[in-house]
Amino acid sequence: MDSNKDALWYKDAIIYQVHVRTFHDSNADGIGDFLGLEERLDYLQELGVTAIWLMPFFPSPLRDDGYDIADYDSVHPSYGTLKDFCKVLDSAHRRGIRVIIEMVLNHTSDQHPWFQEARSSHDNPRRDWYVWSDTDTRYKDTRIIFLDTEKSNWAWDPTSKSFYWHRFFSHQPDLNYDNPAVREKMWSVMKYWLEMGVDGFRLDAVPYLVEREGTNCENLPETHDILKELRRRLDEHFPGRMLLAEANQWPADLRPYFGNGDEFHMAFHFPLMPRMFMGLKLEDRKPITEILQQTPEIPPSCQWSLFLRNHDELTLEMVTDMERDYMYDTYAQNKTMRLNLGIRRRLAPLLNNDRRRIELMNAMLMSLPGTPIIYYGDEIGMGDNISLGDRNGVRTPMQWSGGWNAGFSTADPERLYAPIIHDPVYGYAAVNVVSQRESEHSLFHWMRRIIAVRKSSAVFGRGSIEFLYPANHRILAYLRRLGNETVLMVNNLSSAAQAVELDLRRYKGNVLIEMFGNNLFPRVGDQPYLLTLGPYQSYWFRLRRV
Amino acid sequence: MEDGNFLTDEFLRQLINVGEVDILVGLPTHNNAKTVGSIVHTIRTGILSGFPRERAVIINADGGSRDGTPELITGVSIDDVRPAPSVYALRTLHAISTKYASTPNSGVALRTILTAAELLRAKACIVISPESETIAPEWISNLLRPVYYDSFDLVSPTYRRHKFDGLLMTNLIYPMVRALYGIRVREAYMSEFGFSGRLGCQFLSQNRWNDGIGEDGIELRLTLAALTGGFRICQSFLGEKDHVERRATDLVPTLRQSVGVLFSALDSDFNAWSKVSGSQEVPTTGGDVELLLDPLRVNKKRLRDMFVNGVSELNSVFQAILSPSTLTDLNRIAGLEEEEFRYPAALWVRTIYEFAAAYQKSVINRDHIIQALAPLFRGRVLTFVVENRNGSALDVANDIEGLCLEFERLKPYLLEMWKSKE
Amino acid sequence: MREMILSELTQAMQDLARGFAHYLPRLIVMLILAFVGWLIAYMVKIVLRSILRLIRFDRLSENAGASQLLTKAALPSATEMLSRFIFWVTWVGFILLGVGVLGILGLQQQVERFFLFLPHLFAAVLLLFFGMLTAGFFARAALLAAVNANVPSPGLLSLAVRSIIMVFVLSVVFEELGLAQQTMLVAFGIAFGALMLGLAIAFGIGGRDLAQRFLEEKFVRTKKEQDEDELSPL
Repeated sequence: MDSNKDALWYKDAIIYQVHVRTFHDSNADGIGDFLGLEERLDYLQELGVTAIWLMPFFPSPLRDDGYDIADYDSVHPSYGTLKDFCKVLDSAHRRGIRVIIEMVLNHTSDQHPWFQEARSSHDNPRRDWYVWSDTDTRYKDTRIIFLDTEKSNWAWDPTSKSFYWHRFFSHQPDLNYDNPAVREKMWSVMKYWLEMGVDGFRLDAVPYLVEREGTNCENLPETHDILKELRRRLDEHFPGRMLLAEANQWPADLRPYFGNGDEFHMAFHFPLMPRMFMGLKLEDRKPITEILQQTPEIPPSCQWSLFLRNHDELTLEMVTDMERDYMYDTYAQNKTMRLNLGIRRRLAPLLNNDRRRIELMNAMLMSLPGTPIIYYGDEIGMGDNISLGDRNGVRTPMQWSGGWNAGFSTADPERLYAPIIHDPVYGYAAVNVVSQRESEHSLFHWMRRIIAVRKSSAVFGRGSIEFLYPANHRILAYLRRLGNETVLMVNNLSSAAQAVELDLRRYKGNVLIEMFGNNLFPRVGDQPYLLTLGPYQSYWFRLRRV
Repeated sequence: MEDGNFLTDEFLRQLINVGEVDILVGLPTHNNAKTVGSIVHTIRTGILSGFPRERAVIINADGGSRDGTPELITGVSIDDVRPAPSVYALRTLHAISTKYASTPNSGVALRTILTAAELLRAKACIVISPESETIAPEWISNLLRPVYYDSFDLVSPTYRRHKFDGLLMTNLIYPMVRALYGIRVREAYMSEFGFSGRLGCQFLSQNRWNDGIGEDGIELRLTLAALTGGFRICQSFLGEKDHVERRATDLVPTLRQSVGVLFSALDSDFNAWSKVSGSQEVPTTGGDVELLLDPLRVNKKRLRDMFVNGVSELNSVFQAILSPSTLTDLNRIAGLEEEEFRYPAALWVRTIYEFAAAYQKSVINRDHIIQALAPLFRGRVLTFVVENRNGSALDVANDIEGLCLEFERLKPYLLEMWKSKE
Repeated sequence: MREMILSELTQAMQDLARGFAHYLPRLIVMLILAFVGWLIAYMVKIVLRSILRLIRFDRLSENAGASQLLTKAALPSATEMLSRFIFWVTWVGFILLGVGVLGILGLQQQVERFFLFLPHLFAAVLLLFFGMLTAGFFARAALLAAVNANVPSPGLLSLAVRSIIMVFVLSVVFEELGLAQQTMLVAFGIAFGALMLGLAIAFGIGGRDLAQRFLEEKFVRTKKEQDEDELSPL
């Protein structure tokens, strides 16, 4: 892939998040693999996505779904070989699909040779690659992230008789970024994969790289310096590659991760996502507009990354207590659905399988300023399995067909890495790619359509946003502008039909062209522009002066 | 629906933008800029703390204010257009205003609020007086909760007030409504109250609206409609009632809009109240009525003089209204010295009932009948003040209870007069 | 000579008989009319009395103060009075019709005048009645307002209001009846003007303090005495 052609490709991208293990099994061992993924790249091309983000596929004891890495230079044998991975890269690039992979910088698995060495003795050269302490009282002001399972950020290592620092699970010791050797090594790891041809990294857990006493050990200036250095080296040696930050912070705290365009290219806009769900339930645009009003400007080369759901729980860290209670009461009455200040459900079950709401949320995802990320399976409305522990309920095998193992694998069902969902509503017989391909108005085809419309104009990825504030608070309306092009998005967050009057006087004389059917709507005049929308309906208009 | 024409286009547009709500707070105003600012902020606080998740709207029905009252009210709305960093709210809170007329009329104001409540399908509504400076945020919950959660249709307030405040209520309205309608509602004439959408719709469609003529006292009509319509009523303790200073000359308008309304309702409600005997308590939340006992300086001489003067000057009028024996008794007590003066409960009840019967028969112009009651009421006030000047809260309560029982005991007398031809 | 006297007498007797014969039918008709008129008048009186009792006319006239007047004059009730009045008017009307049949010219003119006068009479009675009603209403209204505003001498004020209205009503009634038209109007004007002037002087000079207190009460919120609390009735 000639990345130099368009250095800002990530602004126009439609990213598909997928785990190799869950997608397609080519060798009938019950676990998805690279060759299986490669076989399904046609599907992704048909869907219209322009990039895939692969979740960690490194060798790992898999106690945190691969985020506990035991070897940075290889792939997990369950998924295939490095050669298989390279095949995926090639195939994807030939289809015009870029590949983004995970890079967990903050910590490793405790099974990683580095940690094994570090813990073996206090004098080991790698000792200083991790953060050790004789007591567990240092960095007292630091919050615990995995509240449901961890009681402390320090874990006792019986081997070396001292505590080691871990912001996540206790089997994921944090690397010590004050050690230049660590920084150098991690760059060389990244370089290794970049040379192989990956187009970008999602850097996991970046706020926590550095610890300092008397702070909350998040977002420290030293962390930013390290990241800037990585970026500098990336730009120098691999221009056109992309760094995506995973930092679950308030928008104001996220802003530094963009630097002056010299740190991350992209960052997830975490606080927006729960507010989209909240706005939908409240039937009130206020949570959405307010968080975007508070979102700071970012450098022109940078981009927000938007998503509805992902492999983790729907996080409610970045909301107030009242909002969290509201979300729990409305989206997760069953307490088993709640995890770590979040809700571990997929998109369709969260929206009660309401096709209209699913479409509305995706319409907002595709039109708000940022690059959209689709979580695998959500494009066909897959369900979840809460009885699987932790967050595994949203990581079940992809449902390709109504046949054997949903077309995911030809192995015995008992050998599958996780059971296929088979309830009457979301089960593979009801929800699968084959049947949706056959149905003209399936969610799959609708997603294809909306992706195509989004790709038809650069205004979605690169344009500005201006909210209209119609008096009807159930309507979320905004204009996206890039150069001479202006598009208008109108979304009805209510379960009832609504009428709304929009102040479009500045665009007087323009005709509205609805972007899906390309039909004309009345010209804008002096009077407020009256629109009526059905329940959960959204309109995309192109404004054109005729 | 024809009620839609009752509202202006602009207000209708605002209602469309508000959409369906769970809670509606109605605020009828006319030149209340001095007090309404803090009141509406308290209302907002009450909504945000008591019902943070519910869709709520504040509706201001304004009778032609010239002092910026409506702007003070609409200024508390919370939305994303004018973010208010000092206030946190889960959802948008609308505060909208409409001018229903150039001159104030409480009937039209309430009708506006009820119409809006019906169009917005509000489940629970409250109306707050723009003069209630003692309002606290809890009042919102106290008035709304019984409707919203416990399916009551009318929540009548009870207060902490001075034992000599509201004597028209304690000596006439309350006992009479209790005796006739059989339900013990302390404040049938309500400054603030809660009601269900159901009751509001029914009242809106069934009440004979007079296009604004003589509709003061509509709140009492609402209470009576709830009493006769089989609606669930309860009382809720709010707190201290605002002491609104009233002059001696304000008594007649007050009588018109309370006693006048009650008397005129007795005719249409005859079938309902004539069959009732005794009275029942209504469920009460938040505590009982509280009486403040601090000493009050009352001009007893003036009260007695006005009573005596009234009895003597209006004798010809009373002859048309009262029975000879009642009039004789009144003349007798008018002749008593100040220390001996006493307007006993039984005589007071007979007086009131005879007035009610005279009103029904229109022996003279009905408004004149109401006006004629004013000096007699003053006499009753004097007796009540004297008898209870050193009384404890329990003493006062017992006194009022005794009066209520007297009203109940003499109800057959009223019925007899009612049914007689002449 | 005897024959002349006889023949003249006979002629005179014959003329008389002729005249008698000429007028007799008319007389009979007149008597018949009178009798029929009595019957009709009686029936009208019965019907009217029933109607008046139904609409409680006595009550109305009580309000007007007419009943009190009648009682003082030891006359029967208003219903009875009105019924009898209508009876007599009806019967007299028929009698006069009968008289008209007689064809006596001068009498005919008087009869015509009588019938022309009747509408005015009715109008005057109506005006008087409703005038008394109005005077009673406003007098009572003034009385009540004065008593409740604690204005001194409310009875006097009420009487003054009643008097003014009655004077006005009477002047209109007399005008309607055509009696001393101008005189009554002028008299009313003088009386009314004098009253107004008198009141102005009284208020302006003699009743200064009273006026001041009255106005204060109306427009200024002050307590009567410094150490008094106001009670709120509701």
